Parts: sequence; structure tokens; C-alpha cells
Amino acid sequence: MTELLRILLAPLVWLVSFSAIYGLHGLLCETAEGSFAEFPVQRFVLLAAFLLAIALQITILWVLYQPRFAAPAGLLRFVSRAGGWTGLVATVWTLFPIVALSTCT
Amino acid sequence: MLAGAAAIFGLVMILLVFSFRRNKNSGEEEGQIRVWIIGLGLAFPALVLGALLAYGLVVGERLLPRDGVNLVQVSAQARRWEWRFTYADAPALETTGVLHIPAGRPVDIAITTADVIHSFWVPRLAGKLDAIPGHTNTLRLEADAPGTYQGVSAEFSGAGYDAFAFQVVVHDESDWAAFLQGQPE
Amino acid sequence: MRALERHRKLTAIWASETGFKGWFSTVNHNDLGRMFLFTAFFFFIIGGLLAMLIRVQLATPNSAFAGPEIYNQIFTMHGTVMMFLFAIPTFEGLAIYLLPKLLGTRDLAFPRLTAYGFWCYAFGGTMLIVAMLFGIAPDGGWFMYPPLSSAIHSPGINADFWLIGITFVEISAIAAAVEITVSVLKYRAPGMSLEKMPIFAWYALITALMILTGFPPLILGSVLLELERAFGLPFFQADLGGDSLLWQHLFWLFGHPEVYIIFLPAAGVISTVLPVMCRTTLLGYGWIVSAALALAFLSFGLWVHHMFTTGIPHLGLAFFSAASTLVAVPTGVQIFAWIGTMWKGRPELHLPMLHILGFFVTFVIGGLTGVMVAVVPFDWQAHDTAFITAHLHYVLFGGFVFPIFAGIYYWLPHFTGRQQFFRLGELAFALVFVGFHVTFLAMHWVGLLGQRRRISGYTPEDGWSVINLISSVGSFILAIGIAMILIDVLLHIFTARRSCRNPWNATTLEWAMITPAPAYTFASLPLISCRDPLGREPALATALARGEGYLGVPREGLRETLAVDSASGRPEMHVLYPANTRLPIVMSAVTGLFFLSLLLKFYWTVPLALVGVIILAWRWVWSLGLRDDPAMQPVGHDLTLPSAATAERAPGWWGSVFLLTANGTFFGALLFGFAFLWTVAPGWPPPVWFKPSVLEFALGVAGAVIAPLAMRRAIRKNRAGDTPFSNVLIALFGIAVLGITCAALMMRAPAPTSHAYGATLLVLGGYGLFHATVAALMSGFLATQMRLGFTSAKRRAAFPIVALWVKYASITGLIILSAAHLPGMLS
Repeated sequence: MTELLRILLAPLVWLVSFSAIYGLHGLLCETAEGSFAEFPVQRFVLLAAFLLAIALQITILWVLYQPRFAAPAGLLRFVSRAGGWTGLVATVWTLFPIVALSTCT
Repeated sequence: MLAGAAAIFGLVMILLVFSFRRNKNSGEEEGQIRVWIIGLGLAFPALVLGALLAYGLVVGERLLPRDGVNLVQVSAQARRWEWRFTYADAPALETTGVLHIPAGRPVDIAITTADVIHSFWVPRLAGKLDAIPGHTNTLRLEADAPGTYQGVSAEFSGAGYDAFAFQVVVHDESDWAAFLQGQPE
Repeated sequence: MRALERHRKLTAIWASETGFKGWFSTVNHNDLGRMFLFTAFFFFIIGGLLAMLIRVQLATPNSAFAGPEIYNQIFTMHGTVMMFLFAIPTFEGLAIYLLPKLLGTRDLAFPRLTAYGFWCYAFGGTMLIVAMLFGIAPDGGWFMYPPLSSAIHSPGINADFWLIGITFVEISAIAAAVEITVSVLKYRAPGMSLEKMPIFAWYALITALMILTGFPPLILGSVLLELERAFGLPFFQADLGGDSLLWQHLFWLFGHPEVYIIFLPAAGVISTVLPVMCRTTLLGYGWIVSAALALAFLSFGLWVHHMFTTGIPHLGLAFFSAASTLVAVPTGVQIFAWIGTMWKGRPELHLPMLHILGFFVTFVIGGLTGVMVAVVPFDWQAHDTAFITAHLHYVLFGGFVFPIFAGIYYWLPHFTGRQQFFRLGELAFALVFVGFHVTFLAMHWVGLLGQRRRISGYTPEDGWSVINLISSVGSFILAIGIAMILIDVLLHIFTARRSCRNPWNATTLEWAMITPAPAYTFASLPLISCRDPLGREPALATALARGEGYLGVPREGLRETLAVDSASGRPEMHVLYPANTRLPIVMSAVTGLFFLSLLLKFYWTVPLALVGVIILAWRWVWSLGLRDDPAMQPVGHDLTLPSAATAERAPGWWGSVFLLTANGTFFGALLFGFAFLWTVAPGWPPPVWFKPSVLEFALGVAGAVIAPLAMRRAIRKNRAGDTPFSNVLIALFGIAVLGITCAALMMRAPAPTSHAYGATLLVLGGYGLFHATVAALMSGFLATQMRLGFTSAKRRAAFPIVALWVKYASITGLIILSAAHLPGMLS
């Protein structure tokens, strides 16, 4: 069970943060129209969430490389770290439009 | 996009054909993993796809409705199986099956439905946008030249779906004014 | 004991009843795997015939072949049959047949569940086909978008057949997925650690986990839509606080992972067959496992790309556009790992290899067009045109049918013990390949010219006539090719000459036995020390037949195997399987009665069917009880193992964990739906809010806290040698209180038929009540077992299982009561 969790953790966290940020984006654009005093609140909140998701992924990856928590050598260690990298790359890749695109149109 | 896809397909086919050669100098498993999996499997698609994604997002961003000058607003309501169009500039006017818009001006079409889901599609003017019960979706389009354009509903809607089409008539400036006055040409 | 004598004894223990009677009572994976595959291909033929009808209709403009009413049924059924009755069951059948053999064990984890799943599938599929024969098949498209599929616009019984039939079939998929997950994790040969698992088992494990998390959203959607249709609960009606977009989200939350649920097993077949065809080993095993895992996860982040035209803000679309391009990377890793494998070895052009080459050509094109439609502006044009139809057929035919044909030809000698004799297969492949590409290349083209999907006709002025005719001609070539493959397979089954034991010189365990496979699979279980056991020890089959492995001594009437530690493969417990029984078919018939009563609106038989299911489930579990403590069991090679009945985490516990994973996804999707309607749907806030009650809430919370604590205490006391009868009764009481508060929520849900808010609360309360009832029944079962002496400090396996279900009911109950009562209390 631990082995399975170690492999699945990072992509699972990606899936949760991806869906959560998608939902958050929908909510922000649905409810709060415009910005407060020229300050783009929605964009700021989304950026913060994006950075938080990346930070989470980096933490998980770091943990997977710690001898104390890492899987026993061999395939399981390889796959768990590949999972960690998948989570990180997926987070950056799928959510980077927050940085590049306009928020609510 | 098509040329790029064809090139990638060609590459894969060549690699497949050459795998049947007898004398291949296959080195260490480590090296093979580096070439095949990390190089061709991981880095190559990531680069191509990254570029493609960036291109798509930029184009998409450019298609977004900005605050247009001289904006024309019309509404399109779908029902099985006809479209009804109304015009903000002439509230009393309603057309069925034919949408009239002016050339050279941005047009916002507010798309709604009276029954099931439909989709508003004029291939030569813009992409599709769905008409969903309870929601209003706004499609921005701009026709460069006057003329008649064919439109269809592109979401399956039951028995009358085949023939569920409409027309967009694009007017020049004077025709458009005449149309709004209620004097079709 | 000689090998032949062992063979006779084991066969007597494991064989199903002779003749056709055996089909109804067999629980053996050898039979059930074949039955699954046979039935799936039967439905494949039906789906194929429907496809032919579609192409006949579209071959000429203004076709008078079928009117839209019939045509809509035809294409809806084609999609539904191929997706639900062919693709998924084919994977299930292949996995059920192969997994125990690849993993070096004698059967799957829960043999009776395999049979139950098969019969649910057979009955559910039959319901749909019968509906079609009567001309009342579903006609709203395989995606069933409301409001087109809701009662106002589809008043007939057609849509109900889809919703109820498919839900029935999905029960079978969930059952098979639980079965496969637990089997791969626990039922392997001694020494087979996760690292040494054959690659197909990894793919099967990942696919099964995807079914467990991908199917529940669709089951939920079907339940909600059926509730709307039958009882007027307006989940998808915009004017009553529902939203048809909720269906699209739920449907595609299932629908996109589904594509990969179909592709991954096929990729598993390729990863298994390709190295054998190239006389080498798979390049980058670890990379492929990682890529398959990444693919599985990414596929859950793609669902909105089916909804690019629904008016979601551009940034929202951009997330999914990005995810849709990213998913091509792990696919690329697998493709190039396979090509690298071909370069590493010496590919030989046997029949399976031809189909794999067909896969490469077709799937790569499908993948490339897939990347195109992942680009949002392109999709706005291509969406819902024949281009998409062509794309998805390239992906599914290329990514599933070709690999499955490769697999069929590869394992055919295993199924039949014969070798290929007629050279029909090569010609058939050529026809299929040419026919397929003619059909669907033309379809890409006509799609780009603007032909929409799902139209039943077009006019000569559209200018599509020639292309459509080409496409139709291609489809008939394809059909002839497939018919030839089926004939080839039949000829093979009945006439070909006997084959040697391992005709392909493969290195995986399924070839270490006589073919066709004996009922007991392995005469004794091997000790595994590497990934290709047969490559290292070619004489393994004989050694196992001589009983040199584990469990080599048959014991009278007992179906025995071993379960291992999931990571290391260290033998952990000794397992006894149940023997042939008609319980599964009876149980699925009663389940079918339940669904059929709903379908035909005979509501008075619904409770009868429910009581029937409860009684049968009780019998099902009761028959596993032991009156005495089982002794440690010697299994050979100086190893003695405890019985599974004495394990803290018995197979039933593992099964429960994964069943609850699926169940939790269902619940999560329900909560998502509630939040979605609340925030996105038009027509909110509701006219009346639910009146919170501090008393009900407090009682419910108390019950939900007490019950799991009492079960925990019960486990401890039982381990210490006491009989914790009172603790289990307290747990039963707590869970009953929780159930009553959920029932109160249902009773007091404000006007469920006039607003989606009340309707959702009703369903939430129903979910809580249902699970409280299940947990209460299980506690009652355990209490009865204790009273009659079926438990002891050693025979303790039932306690953690009941505790798990009690805990689940409590946690979901707490969330439900909070979601209903807290908003009102706080405001």
C-alpha cells in the first residue's frame, strides 16, 4: 500500500490542484466581475494558487529523493520518482496559461 | 500543422522500416534508452507540442472578443429546428432562418436555446459555439465582405437535425441601414 | 505422484460441470475469460453490422435507406455497443483469462465475483440488444446529452434502456476492476515482486484502477438522469435549478479516461507480444510502467476538451488544451520504446506482428490528428464534424482493435492448443488494413469539407457524394476482412493441427503449461526470480507439472492457492477458493430484476428484488465462514502459511478497499455535482432552503462518531480473546441512528421535484441511508457470526472488513449531514 501511494501521490496531487484551480477560475470569473481599484484580484489569486501547487510538487519530489522516505532501490524507486517528475511537469505545463493569458474572457 | 504531422508520421514509418534491417549496431541498453526513450520519446514530443500549444493559445487569445468599436449586437435563439434572430439596433425586427449582419464591423451574437442543446456554426466566418439551456454564450465574428454564408447547427438534436441550417446575409453599409429600417432588398 | 495422476486429481477438483450446464455454475477464470471474450466478439459483430448500416445510409446522397428515427437508433447503438459491450469487456475477458497465468497463480481473487460480473454484462447487454430488435433502442447519441435525452424531448422508453442497461453493464466493469486490482496486488507466484511482474499485469492494474475511478461519474450521471426521467427530479433542467452542463461534465469525466481505459490494455498486449516477435526483451520496462501511469493520470485532466464549444472562458479551455497536448508525451515514450525494442531485436513478420504494424500506422495518424484537435481554434471548426469521427476511429481501431487482433492471434494457440494452418489471416489483415484506411481517410476529408457527424443524409449539392461512396466501399472491404478473421479463428479452433507447448518461444509464465490450459492452470506454483522465467528455465513447464513448485500435492476437493505480500511477492497466506456454484448467475438475475423493474416501472417488484439481493449476498458471504480455527498449512518447500481467514487484511478487506475507492469517487462526483449546480447553474438560489435541525445533526454526528470507535474497540477485544458482541451491537446502533437522520433529511428535503436543490439533498440523504443500511447489515451479519461461533481470536478477518464499511458510512454520513444542515445553521 505504501509503495502504491508513493507512486501515485504526486500525480494525484496534480489532479487535485488542476481540478481545484479550474474550479476556482470558474468561480472567480462567475462571481467577482472586474477588479477592485485596478487591482486584478482574480489573476493574483490564480497566480498564488499556481505557485502553491508548484511548491507542493517540489516538496513531494524532494521527499521522494530523501533516503528516509524513498522507495527501496530498483524499479519502485524509479517509478515513484518518475511519478514525482510527472506531477511537477504536469503542474507547470497545464497551469502555465494562468501566467500567459487573460483571465476571464 | 498538416505538414508537420506528415513529417512526424514519415519519421515514424522510416524508423519502423529500418528496424527490419539485419545489421544494426545496437549498443548498450543504457544508450538505447537515452536515444529512443529520452530523446525521441520524451524530448522530441515535448518540444513539438510545447511550440504547438503556444501557437494555439496565442491564436485563441487573438480571437477573443475585445471591446470593439462600432459593435453590433444580435441574438440568436435556437429551437427544434429553426433559428430566430433579433437585433439590438432594431428591437421590433425578428428574422427566422436568416441572420443579417453588416460587413466590416465586429458582431456579437448572443446564443441561446429554447429547448435542447444546439450549436451555432458558420464555417467561413467563425468556429462553433453551443446554445445551452439556461446559459447565454456570446460569439464574436466579423465578416469582411458582403455576401451570403451558409450556417448549420452542429449539435445533434434529434429527428430534424439533418436539415437544420440557416444563412447569414452580410450587407454593405447602405443595405444594412435599409435592413434595420425594415426594408429588405 | 506422477504428473498424469496429479493432472487427473487437480482436474477433478477444478473442472466445471460438464456440458452446457457448466456455463451457469462455473467460477473458473479459464471458462469465464473465454465466455467474456466470446460474448464481447458477439457484440462486436452486432456493432459492426450497425456500422455497415450507417455506411449504407451515407453511401449516396438523399438516401432513402433509413429515416432519421431509425438511423438515430443505429448510430447511437453502434457507439454504445462498441464502447460498452465490446471494448471494455474484451479487456476484462483477456485480463481474466490471462492474469492468473501470467502471474503464476491458479485463479483470480474472487472467482464468484468474476462470474457475477459476467452475468451482469451478459444480461445488461442483452437488454440493449432486445430493445434494438423491438425498435425501441436509445436514439439520443451514445453521449445522451440532456435535455435531448430527458423526459420532455425523449418521452419513450428508449433512453431508459440506455441508462439502466449501461449502468447494469458498468456494475460488471466495476466488479472486474476490483477483481483485477486485488489479483495483481495479492495473487502472484511466490517471489514475484512488483519489479518482476510481466508488463501486461502493470497495464491491467493501471487500467483497473482507472475503471474504478473513471466509471463512477457516469454511473452517477445515469442514476441522476434516470431519477429525473422517472420521478421528475430536475438535475439537468435549467429552469428548475438544474444544468445540462452537469451531465456533460460527468459524462466526459468518464468519457475521456475511457479512451485510455481502452488503449492501455491494448498497449499491454503490444508490450507483451512485440518483444517476442522481435526475439528480444522490452526496452525500458521502468519507463513504460511510468509512462502508462502518467498517461492514466493525465487522462483524467482532459475531460473538458470535449466541451471546447460550450462557452467556457478561454483560460479554462487553455488548461485543458495544455493537458491534451501533454498527454501525447507519455504516449510518445511508449511508441518510441516499442520502436526501440524493434531496433534492439530482430523483428519477424508473423501474423501478430502484422497487426502490430497496422497499429503503428493507424495509431500514429490518430494521435497526430488528436494533437490537432487539442488546439482550441482548430477544434472550434472540426468539432462535431466527420473529421472527429475519423480521428476517434483511428485512435480506437488503431489503438485497440489492431492490438487485440495481434493478441488474439498470439494467444490463439494457447486457447486452443493448435497452430495456424490456413494462411487466411494474412489476406484478412491486408483487407482490414486497406479497408480501414480507405474508409476513414475519406472521412477526414469530408469532415474538413464541413460534413457534420450524425446526419442521416446530405444533398448532391453538398459535393460530398463521391467521398462518401469511397468511404462506404472501404468499409465493406474492412467488413469482409473482419469476417475473414473470424472465419480464420473458427477454422483454427475446429481444424488446425496440434501445436507444441510454447510455439512463439515466449518467456512469460502463461506458456509454462499444457494448452489448452487445464482447469487448475498450474499443477504447482513456480518460484519467480526474474522477469522472464521461461527464458531462464525453458523446462519450467515440466517441472511444475511434476509438482516441483508450491502446492504440488492436491488435497481432496480443495481449490488452493497462495497470496503474497503486494510489493515483495513474499508468500503471505494460504487461500481456499469457493467451488462451482449457481449463486452468481442467480444473484445477477435478481439484480437484473431490480433494473428491469425500474425500466418497466413495475415499482412493486423493486423492493422484492432488493430483499432478494440482500438474502443472496448474505448467503454468499456466509458460506465462507469457518467453524474451527484453521491450522497452519504446509505448502511445500518447507514453507508453512496461515489461512486467509486468520489474516488482519484478508482478500475481502482488499476488495472492500478498492470497491470503496470506486464508491468514494461516486460520492465525490455527487458532491462535485452539488457544488456545480449551486455555483454555476442558472435558477439559483432555490425558492425554499432546507430547515436545519440541531437535534438531527447532533444525533447523526454522535452516531457517526460512536460506530467506528465501537468497531475499533471490537477488533481489539477480539484480538485479546474476548467476544466483543456488545461492541458490535453498539456500532450497529450508532450506524442505525446515522441512517435515521439521513432518512429524515430525505423526508424533509424541500420540494425535490420543483428544484434541483431539494432533489440533490434527497439523493445525498439516500446515499447516506443506503450506506448506513449496508453497514448495519454487515454489523448484524458479524454479530450473528459471533453468536454462532464463526469467529475467534484467530478467525478475525471479518472484523476489519466490517469496520472499514462502518467507517466509510460514518465519514460520508458526516459529510452529507454537514452539507445539508451547516449552510443553514451558519447563515
